[in-house]
Amino acid sequence: MDCRKIITSSIAAGDAVIPELEAQQICRAYDIACPATVLAPGKAECIAAATSMGFPVVIKIFSRQIVHKSDVGGVVTGIATADELGRAYDRMLANIAKSAPGAEIGGVIVQKQMPKGVEVVVGGLRNDQFGPVVMFGMGGIYVEVFKDVSFRLAPLDKDEALRQVRETKVYKLLQGVRGDKPCDIDALCEVMVNTGKLLAEYPEIAELDFNPVFCYPDGCTVVDARLVLKSS
Amino acid sequence: MAEPFTAPIDNFFNPRGVAVVGASATPGSPNNQIVQFAKQMSLNGKVFPVNPRSDEIVGLKCYPDLMSIPEPVDLVVIAVGAQHSLGVARQIARRRGEKGDAGAVAVVTAGFKEMATAEGEQLQSELIATIKASGARIIGPNCQGVADTYNGVNTTFSVPPNTPKGGVSVISQSAAFATSFLRWARDQKLVGVNKFVSLGNMADLDFRDLLAYMSDDEKTKVIAMYMEGIVDARGLIDISAKVTKRKPIVVIKGGKTSLGTNVAQSHTASIAGNNDIYDGAFRQAGVIRAQSVAEFYHTARVFDKMPLPKGNRIAILTVVGGPSTICVDELVSTGEVSLAHFSDELKKEAAKYLVASANIGSPDGYIDMTASVNPKMHTDVLRLLMNDDGIDGIIFMTTPPGFIKDDELAAAIAEGYNSVPDEKKKPLLSVMLAGNAVARCRTLLEEQGLPTFEFPDDAARVMVNMVRYSAYRRRNACQ
Repeated sequence: MDCRKIITSSIAAGDAVIPELEAQQICRAYDIACPATVLAPGKAECIAAATSMGFPVVIKIFSRQIVHKSDVGGVVTGIATADELGRAYDRMLANIAKSAPGAEIGGVIVQKQMPKGVEVVVGGLRNDQFGPVVMFGMGGIYVEVFKDVSFRLAPLDKDEALRQVRETKVYKLLQGVRGDKPCDIDALCEVMVNTGKLLAEYPEIAELDFNPVFCYPDGCTVVDARLVLKSS
Repeated sequence: MAEPFTAPIDNFFNPRGVAVVGASATPGSPNNQIVQFAKQMSLNGKVFPVNPRSDEIVGLKCYPDLMSIPEPVDLVVIAVGAQHSLGVARQIARRRGEKGDAGAVAVVTAGFKEMATAEGEQLQSELIATIKASGARIIGPNCQGVADTYNGVNTTFSVPPNTPKGGVSVISQSAAFATSFLRWARDQKLVGVNKFVSLGNMADLDFRDLLAYMSDDEKTKVIAMYMEGIVDARGLIDISAKVTKRKPIVVIKGGKTSLGTNVAQSHTASIAGNNDIYDGAFRQAGVIRAQSVAEFYHTARVFDKMPLPKGNRIAILTVVGGPSTICVDELVSTGEVSLAHFSDELKKEAAKYLVASANIGSPDGYIDMTASVNPKMHTDVLRLLMNDDGIDGIIFMTTPPGFIKDDELAAAIAEGYNSVPDEKKKPLLSVMLAGNAVARCRTLLEEQGLPTFEFPDDAARVMVNMVRYSAYRRRNACQ
């Protein structure tokens, strides 16, 4: 499925936010790395998928009716073995049957649990006066508090993305502090450039958050991709 | 009917004649002052007051209406009350039809869209539509129009006719802000102005048009803008990015409100105020955004007076310790500027000229001559720093000692600066920390094109801005 089709069908379904699996497909089409993710219909497929991508993994319930997965016991993290996964799977489905009895279950998402890296946010929005804009900054849940962010108009090139990164304090963390290895800032800048491209090419996307993006000495991964569609 | 010929913006700055509709014979009124200033600045004397109730205003023949002016009129100033402006607009259209001139219109009159009433908005749109249909261009309404020191044009009542000429062109959404800049700078000859535009309501021409015009204007070396906001911010940034490849743009922007109305579903949209996006977009486009009024004033004028630094290695030459610390702190705070590295030869040479207690090179890039100085030491050390290719710019700080005469000190600094040929010149910013006590010394330096400052942190910020712009120019030169 290509990006155009995903967006069109998401709009047709009345989504405000593109569902996770599809959002990841769009990211991959723009060379924006996401953790390995598989939708498994049953327990056996779940264990097979986890074994092939490697532990630890996260599992999440997949259902259109369940928006806040963790509120109904629909997310389990830090699963280290196949046995653990089997038990977690059974417990999750039992929980859901109780807390969301009417929900139509489409399966379980198995996702590779990424090791922690330097947490940054790459965001995007479409502004009335400026058009598509790319944001970069320190990631995590306190983005709004620290506001360690900088902006550029999209599209932008890699050198410009690097200057944007340098304007923030988290740049120091990316360079490596207290003996940490420096992060792959080049890969991060590529994600920013591709984010700008995505925004410029799809006016249907009103806002986006890649938060957090984990940065490592070799590459970076968008752990959570949230693509918000324009309300018509 | 054929499409009307759209008049060039040059009509505002290079008019064959200027008509002031609504000119007043009453001295001390704004509409009298406009005619006086226009007459005083005019090189060809072609200023035509229009007022059916007067025969003569400030010694100029007065005409009953626009049509009766027998000579070419390229620039029309509308200064009548808002309710009469539409009648003038119709005359402009007629004049364009019959005589083909009247291509530039400055609507000084207020009482339009800025009133935020339905009548005001309606009146403005009718006025603009009538004039634009004739192919004429409009600045305003609710503005002071334009001034041009080289071409002798002035439609304002507050830009003094004796404003010194120079390379700074000002585009401002507030006339008061811009004229206060000129007045602040006048006594000590801090700034030389080329063109001045007060945009007002921007019903037709806005920043984008004037930027494009000034980009091609040879006498404009620097563009200084005071702005509050513009609807097509993307368009402004696109044009700015083209202009900054040729000449610097310095901006100060008021209005720091955030998006407010945006119903955000993402962190990004909830955090992104327009002000922050302006910050990033200006940097992307190589526009220097000043954070304070002093920084704005000084950056604009220094870009005109000094060459760009070739790199980011700055030397500090001082006779005062404390202020230099403030200066260095500010200078290196953004990480874009560093202190220069002094070679052993330079240090040895400097020591020959200075007293034994002078601090040469601690920290590296820093010389404190101490208070035991004479004019010659200034010349000798400045010559040394000017000649060293490892130094890209110099900040000099002093509380001029009472035992050195103003003119001797100024001459010594100028001699040191001018000891190298033009192609080796680098920016020298002189901080004179004694306010009006050294006004004469400052003026003497400014007259020779050497910028002076009252405070060390202002000088540091200007140097950072120059380094930043110079880096932008270098990376865009090789593309």
